[in-house]
Amino acid sequence: MTRRLAAALVAATAAVLTMAACGSSDDSTSDGTITLKLVGADYGTGPADTTQKYWQQIADEFHKQNPSITVEVTTINWTDYDTKVKTQLQNKDYPDVLQGVFYPQYATNGLVAPLSEILSKPDIGTSTFKEAFSVDGVQYAAPFVTSARAMYYNKKAFAEAGIAKPPTTWAELETAAKALKAKGYIGYALPLGPEEAQAESTLWMLGNGGGWKNGDSYAINSPQNVETFTFLKNLVNSGLTQPNPATYDRTANAAADFAAGKVGMEFNGPFLTATIASAGKLAETDYATAPVPGRTGPVDQTLGVADAIQAFKTDDADKAAAIKKFLDFALTDEHQLAFAKQYALLPGTQSALDSLKGDPVLGTFAELLPQTVQFPSDEKWTAAVLPAVKKNIGLAVTDDPARVLGDLQAKATAGR
Amino acid sequence: MPETETQPPPAVIRTSPTGAPGGTRRQRPTLTPLLWIGPAVLLIAGVVLLPVVLMFRTAFHHIDAIGFDHGWVGTDNFEALLREPAFGAIVWRTVVWVVAVVTLTMICSLALAQLFHQNFPGRRIARWALIAPWAASVFMTAVVFRWMLDARSGVINVFLNDIGLLPELGTAQADWLGRPSVALWWMVGVAVFVSIPFTTYTILAGLQSIPGDVYEAAYLDGARTWRTYRSITLPLLRPALLVAVLINIMNVFNSFPIIWAMTAGGPGDQTATTTVFMYQLKSSSIAESAAMSVVNFGIVIVLVGLFLRASHGKSQVQS
Repeated sequence: MTRRLAAALVAATAAVLTMAACGSSDDSTSDGTITLKLVGADYGTGPADTTQKYWQQIADEFHKQNPSITVEVTTINWTDYDTKVKTQLQNKDYPDVLQGVFYPQYATNGLVAPLSEILSKPDIGTSTFKEAFSVDGVQYAAPFVTSARAMYYNKKAFAEAGIAKPPTTWAELETAAKALKAKGYIGYALPLGPEEAQAESTLWMLGNGGGWKNGDSYAINSPQNVETFTFLKNLVNSGLTQPNPATYDRTANAAADFAAGKVGMEFNGPFLTATIASAGKLAETDYATAPVPGRTGPVDQTLGVADAIQAFKTDDADKAAAIKKFLDFALTDEHQLAFAKQYALLPGTQSALDSLKGDPVLGTFAELLPQTVQFPSDEKWTAAVLPAVKKNIGLAVTDDPARVLGDLQAKATAGR
Repeated sequence: MPETETQPPPAVIRTSPTGAPGGTRRQRPTLTPLLWIGPAVLLIAGVVLLPVVLMFRTAFHHIDAIGFDHGWVGTDNFEALLREPAFGAIVWRTVVWVVAVVTLTMICSLALAQLFHQNFPGRRIARWALIAPWAASVFMTAVVFRWMLDARSGVINVFLNDIGLLPELGTAQADWLGRPSVALWWMVGVAVFVSIPFTTYTILAGLQSIPGDVYEAAYLDGARTWRTYRSITLPLLRPALLVAVLINIMNVFNSFPIIWAMTAGGPGDQTATTTVFMYQLKSSSIAESAAMSVVNFGIVIVLVGLFLRASHGKSQVQS
């Protein structure tokens, strides 16, 4: 009897576990209707401007034109994006369309389909990011939304501090920061906090002819980079930046402080204009953008960043056709421009980018985009280097730059 | 009276209604409890044991950046964990964190418990007030402290600035949580603050269980206050102190919300304890993070073992 009871317990446990494991099931049924699962990142700041609405509207329009295809939209806040998508994939609960980050591992593990299979016009995206979204010469993701970075400066603060024109070299930037500090401003806002330390670092590295890699191999602790971070360390020590850059984030701190009128200069993307507008402290004439200063002159190639859209492989030919149809529909100029305008970002498709050339806000950034430098895109970068950079590179400006960069380089060259 | 004691017959009838042999009957007591505890056992199996098994499994697998499982890799993840440049510092910091928080908590609580043990007007209200830090969400308390320490407008900084201790707001000096060495001590303060209520109440309960005649005897023998405290109060408090110390050690070792809400282990990992570091690792490698969890799990098991041993000792002290 006890044995029977034990068996019953085992059976019950199994039942509970299966219940927990259940969840995903039939996507395309025999009656010809197809359900596509779209998972995307949320670029909004709250329920009012959530990207859920943007996608839902596209999904509804699409469903009206194609009644047999339903698109289920899920958007994930950027803070949780990585964890949630990883968990989903670990449980083999694959979405059909995934917008957000492209990991080369998606391709090497054979999860995503080549772009040529999922878009009628695979070259619809700007060619700037072709290499970043390719593995072994095959492109797997299209740029969905892009941005370029420039230097913003507070014209009011510059006038008050008696600075005639934005700095073009590091020395000029230091002088300007000193004058701004004397008037009570944060001279230069240096966000090396975990949110996007990699972008801020790249922009400074570019100013000294450095970068993450030299050719195909990592060179994070190259002499140029150590020199760059030593210069930044001096800025921090002289109080020309806000204190403790390693805990200072781009959105929550640097953008908010600039919008509040506390900052003289900072590097940022087009989206800062949206933050400034919603804060309501600075008028459109109170600030302007300029090229990123370098050690001896302005940086001619700034940083370009893109978020991806990709589709997971499917054996079902009808479903593959539905995915293609939907992506073609979602990436039309109309939808791309609506997204760009809503979040003050640049579109991903070349035709939408071209139509922005004359735009007063986005136009400047759209012109910068073709000559931009991208982050590394190898597996090592996404797996080990990027997380370590986000967490630790900020310490290079308070600690010993050579040691911090050396630790990162060790991470980048370690086995596996 | 004798008549009421001759009641057993019905009981006899109840125990053998069918005259069946005792064999099956004896099994009932072993079976019925199983039915009762069955759901609990299932719950423990599904919610505690299964995750533990999965944690160990993950710690020995190679799971790549997108969460794709590439199978067994032996101890690679543990080796990667030991290779982390910050690992030694994090372990040492965890020891400092636990020892500092628990010691300070015990000292403050011993004094507070003594105070609350006295009779004074408003004692009831004062005892109620002591519960406040315990009743409030730890995460909320930590967030409140983070904002009170804000470099530009935190109320603590503004106060320090007003009384002239802090020359300028918004400087590196005012950014307490941005400087790892100072940030850790602010967090120790918050951890002590939230640990004091529980500890004080445990000690207070211990104090109240010490019989008054022991003190009378000591008084008659001519013992002074300090001598009485050292030779009577402290030894008789031993069981209560042991419980308080061990539960605090486990709590503080596992403490995540205070550090996460105030610095997230940053800058970098310079204010992370092993528990927070485990969470930080999750962003780069789930498997390495699982390896860290296994190490933490081992430490907790050792602490629990110590606790069980100590609580055995406690009963010996009492008898």
